[in-house]
Amino acid sequence: MKYEIVIGLEVHVELATESKIFCSCSSKFGAEPNDNVCPACCGMPGMLPVTNEKAIDLGITAGLLLNCHINRVTTFDKKSYYYPDLPNAYQITQWFSPVCVDGGLEIETQAGKKVIGIKQIHLEEDAGKLVHDDWTDSTLVDFNRTGVPLVEIVSQPDLRSVEEVLAYLERLRAVLRFAKVSDCRLELGSMRCDVNLSVRPYGSEKLGVRTEMKNMNSLSAIARAIEYEAARHIDAIELGTKTLIQETRRWDDISGKSFAMRNKETAEDYRYFPDPNLVPIVIDEEWIERIRASLPELPEKKAMRYVSELGLTEESTALITASRNLCDIFEAAYPISGSPRETANWLIMDCMSYLRSKQLSADDLIIDPLKLGELIRMTIEGEITRNAARRILTAVIEQDADPKKIIEEKGLSVQSDEGTILAIVERAVADNPKSVQDYRNGKTKAMQAIFGSIMKELKGNGDPQVIQRLLKEVLDREE
Amino acid sequence: MKEEMLKGLEKINQLSLTQEERRIVLDFFAFLAGEEEALESCNTDNVERMVHLIPLKNVLREDVSLKTFSQDSLLAGAPKHTDGYWQVPRVVD
Amino acid sequence: MKLYITENTKRNDKTVAVDDTILVEGMPSTAGSKMLGEFKPLFDAEVISRLYNTGFSITGKSNVGEFGLDLLGETSNYGVCLNADGTLAGAAAAIVANGDAEYALSVDLNGTPRRAATLQNVCFIKPTYGTVSRHGVIPCACSAEQIGVMAKTSVKAAELLSIIAGHDKKDGTSLPQMKYDYTAADNATGIRIGIPTEYIEKAEQTVSEKVYRFADVMKADGATVEEFSLSELSFVQAAWQILLCAETCNNLSRYDGVKFGYRGNNSKDIGELYTSSRTEAFGLNAKFAILYGSYVLSKGHYESCYDKALRIRRVLRNKLDGIFSQFDLIIAPACSKLAYSPSDVVNSLEACYNESYFTALSNISGIPIVVCGGVQLMGDSFSENKLLTAATVYERTEVGK
Repeated sequence: MKYEIVIGLEVHVELATESKIFCSCSSKFGAEPNDNVCPACCGMPGMLPVTNEKAIDLGITAGLLLNCHINRVTTFDKKSYYYPDLPNAYQITQWFSPVCVDGGLEIETQAGKKVIGIKQIHLEEDAGKLVHDDWTDSTLVDFNRTGVPLVEIVSQPDLRSVEEVLAYLERLRAVLRFAKVSDCRLELGSMRCDVNLSVRPYGSEKLGVRTEMKNMNSLSAIARAIEYEAARHIDAIELGTKTLIQETRRWDDISGKSFAMRNKETAEDYRYFPDPNLVPIVIDEEWIERIRASLPELPEKKAMRYVSELGLTEESTALITASRNLCDIFEAAYPISGSPRETANWLIMDCMSYLRSKQLSADDLIIDPLKLGELIRMTIEGEITRNAARRILTAVIEQDADPKKIIEEKGLSVQSDEGTILAIVERAVADNPKSVQDYRNGKTKAMQAIFGSIMKELKGNGDPQVIQRLLKEVLDREE
Repeated sequence: MKEEMLKGLEKINQLSLTQEERRIVLDFFAFLAGEEEALESCNTDNVERMVHLIPLKNVLREDVSLKTFSQDSLLAGAPKHTDGYWQVPRVVD
Repeated sequence: MKLYITENTKRNDKTVAVDDTILVEGMPSTAGSKMLGEFKPLFDAEVISRLYNTGFSITGKSNVGEFGLDLLGETSNYGVCLNADGTLAGAAAAIVANGDAEYALSVDLNGTPRRAATLQNVCFIKPTYGTVSRHGVIPCACSAEQIGVMAKTSVKAAELLSIIAGHDKKDGTSLPQMKYDYTAADNATGIRIGIPTEYIEKAEQTVSEKVYRFADVMKADGATVEEFSLSELSFVQAAWQILLCAETCNNLSRYDGVKFGYRGNNSKDIGELYTSSRTEAFGLNAKFAILYGSYVLSKGHYESCYDKALRIRRVLRNKLDGIFSQFDLIIAPACSKLAYSPSDVVNSLEACYNESYFTALSNISGIPIVVCGGVQLMGDSFSENKLLTAATVYERTEVGK
């Protein structure tokens, strides 16, 4: 290939706050249209913006995670343009002094490790949603999303391939999800990616004409869009049939093509100016250290520690470290249970199977890790059988039940008392002459039936090893 | 300020002037251009801009959500609405 | 005389008229414009809540020029207020002068309430920026506009101001002090008063006479008066015009015929909807502010216009620090003459700009003003008590005559 593809990404990520960035409306997804709206976020006059402190915290968090310099003074500015999803005809964003600059994110591809430069991270408010109504040939406007806090993460044009782009996005997503900055769901729109792409001959220092692409709603769509657009650029250069112009294009995944967006004939002048209603945010060392101290240990570090210090398999580790929630539960539960391995197994097998039956995911698991740890410990030490423990697990998840209490109430303690068991064994043997006869005639399997009836009488709580041993003794004894 | 430039400003601000209004506005723009020259007589070298008249910093709000306004009350003054949405002519990208 | 845009017949003995640029829940709020249509606010301005809590009733929403971009109400979509002699009147000031309400609240965006108070011979206090909440003000220039109080005397105006002033967490530019104590001393002994000569030169004699009369009364009560030159006045107007229009342009962009208010007749597509709504419903002064505002913010002009004006603001603020170490207050005309006829505002844009010569200094810097006896008293931030002292002494002397 004669050409090198040069890509920069602008990723918008919705921050995990309770309320919007400049008003107290809920920022949660999924409400009825215009249910999370107030005069401020639907363009009515009179309500003034007041900054959500958590949005600043999460902006600083993103900056620290991406190794950026945090600006000591950060301010908000207005960006003007007309579009029906923008109720004030301006967006509050950061133009003059964004919250973070000059960072980098390390990615790993087949070719090895590489650091992708981060030019800046800035805070801004999201716009609303438009729904096109074919029936009335009109457009419907929902301002629920207007004012939801976003960070825009702008990379340097350091990416050179689809593989690198996907690695960058996956890593970015993992890191931001892990630190609870955002849930980063591409398909729901809490993470959006615009691709800036140009091509140039290998070895050239000069950048080619750049186009921006929007509207890719999945990683695979991003991959397809990049491949298409790079080819389009190369064709234009080689065949000279079309001139490439710097423009914004809309990706249409159905047709597999990009289209120039309407009304973009002239480069827009957004007339940025400082917002007079929002005073500067001064970020001192103390604030930054407070955020730094609250950063979680990232998945790779945890993985190394789980494998080398706690003895988990790489497979179990990968499954657990995929979810911050599972990690938190695991780390609190295994000291109680005494066995990291067993705890991991319980989470990966029993808990996950419960979640799957309810069509939930690892992040949805709500369980008191101390109770889980206790349950696992009791199973390991033989106080209850695995079967009984499984039944108790559901109660611990659903009702936050105390395992010890349930065991008492339902009499689920393992019965290992030899005297008690021996009496039941003797009775069972006496009551099952046919099975005894079959056993003595060489059908060792006949012991199972008697075993079964003993366990039944013990309500499933009999210690299986003790029953097995005593039953064999009794059967072998009477000759 | 030429008429073409003025029409450009009208366009980005989504409004249009009558020819008579354009004449008045262009005259006044010309008058203000003269006034703007007076700005030069103020030395602003090494002077920081003053966006705010109050020395406040870090005015922040706790991240708590409140529901204060119903969909009905917000849409009550809407020129056109349907099914809980504001309604406008079909927007093509 | 169209004094009210919406009148309220339910009154008690504590009455206040409220300019139609301040939101009152359930009553239409027009800002004097066709653009807001039948818009009914969903909440009260903070100042209104505070007045309600103190037992006040609102006599009505007083008439205003469109978005406060007027000389004296001539740009109102709801009719001009004229005195019996056919001269222009500001509605809120007239309401207070004729006693229909004891007080009025007016937003001082570009000096209109000060001119109105001068002509009706009532008192108007424009408080220090940041002391009165802007929650519920229909916004134009957020960095500068302030709600002020109109009343027959400065003592009364100060009484009402003390109810509405004080920190509001809903306003991110509201200063932290919870309560302000507005009290006047009973004499002007030792007060140092300055008169900028440039203002006197620009005003008609009938107006400057009032300034000198005021100065004489102060001197008789022990104040010192000195004339001085304030050459910076040569660029205050232009700098303020830039900031005023830039911010107003931005604050008026939300009016688009979509969410509330006036919707234009032509709406075959969204562009037509925006354009027809904004063309049909904005008056020329509003359109001009929008166009000039976007001009000074545009690439190629931002540095030399808007950014420059922000730096000039700081130069002026620093200059005022110097002036107010030399003087306790400065006095000046609020406008160039004592009567305006409709013919004076045929070119309203020019007329407003010319008159802003007298009022722009306070708008651009946020310093407080008391208009009393047809004179504008200006002091440093938080110097309201000094201004009230001078006003009280003057009123006492005048009443005594």
